[in-house]
Amino acid sequence: MDFDLEALVNVEQTFYEHGHQDGYAHGRIHGLIEGRALGREKGFEMWEELGFYEGFATMWHAVQMSQGSPDDRTNHHIKQLLELIAQFPRTNPSVTEASDLDIPKLFRQIRSRYKALCATLGVRPTLRAGGSSSPTRQVDDPAELPEGARPDVSRRVWPMQAAENQPPREDLSF
Amino acid sequence: MEDELLWNDDSRALQDSEWSKLSSDFTNAGYREGITAGKEGALQEGFDDGYAIVGAPLGRELGLLRGMASALLSFLSKTENIQKHAGLEEARDIASRLTDIRFSDIAPPDLEAERHAREHLEADRKADEDLDFDTNEGLKEKRAIESLEDMMKRMGAGVATSAEVQTRPTADDVQRLRKRLIALSESVGIALQWS
Repeated sequence: MDFDLEALVNVEQTFYEHGHQDGYAHGRIHGLIEGRALGREKGFEMWEELGFYEGFATMWHAVQMSQGSPDDRTNHHIKQLLELIAQFPRTNPSVTEASDLDIPKLFRQIRSRYKALCATLGVRPTLRAGGSSSPTRQVDDPAELPEGARPDVSRRVWPMQAAENQPPREDLSF
Repeated sequence: MEDELLWNDDSRALQDSEWSKLSSDFTNAGYREGITAGKEGALQEGFDDGYAIVGAPLGRELGLLRGMASALLSFLSKTENIQKHAGLEEARDIASRLTDIRFSDIAPPDLEAERHAREHLEADRKADEDLDFDTNEGLKEKRAIESLEDMMKRMGAGVATSAEVQTRPTADDVQRLRKRLIALSESVGIALQWS
């Protein structure tokens, strides 16, 4: 048989590329699906907690107003708490570019402000599920990022690449 | 086998089979690597979508109600006013029902995920067993724990309880609880500015 070796190599490359293209399209669907499932879960967890504080402060504010004898210290805490929550992004901060917002710090401030409010009210703070964990656990340890992760990944607050390669329990425990 | 084919007059058959083997080997290799690349490239995008479009707004909605119910409950349990005290039971009921609601109860279905799962079912015979693309393991585990919780609850509730225990709350229930919460607040003279 007469063989043109170069042509054969090209043929292999063509097959490979064709397969790659199809696979990429299929993988993309799965990536979007799995990413969405994780993002929904994470967004819900974060904002359920923040919403709780927001609702708590809002209701106490309304109670204060209805009592006609607003307490300055209480109102100060309520106002501060609501302001902090208003700063918290409603989209995954990874998409807001060049943000110098320190999410874990903001979260800590919100939690301690909530506790301070509870103390002035003489109410026991509700134990929130993830009260002790940091929202940027993955980012704190870049070593856990897989090889070949894009360099900008460390700026993302919840890098999916990390989430994918770690025991999922770790990532989802907020 | 190959030798036989080689000596066969019909060398065409050999060429065809070699050709299709070559074709499928390289196509499959490309497909496999393409799938990984495509998946990795899309995870963050999917995550951000799910976070902003579904997770955060639903979480906030439920969180707000829970926080309000919690505050109202502690206010009503502290107050001396008898009339307000009567609202305590209602507040307690609303709060406990809100606590019972899970994300999986109120999350809208991911239609694309469902459609794609159906496509996989249809193409099952062709599916490559090596490629497992089911839902994330952690989430799967969470659902498993939740269904275990349900089972325990049913067992604990005993045989005598109504079917109510066995049906999970829905998004409609959240709206009903929201109305009850507003009504209760108003009945004790608290005017809410709903955000």
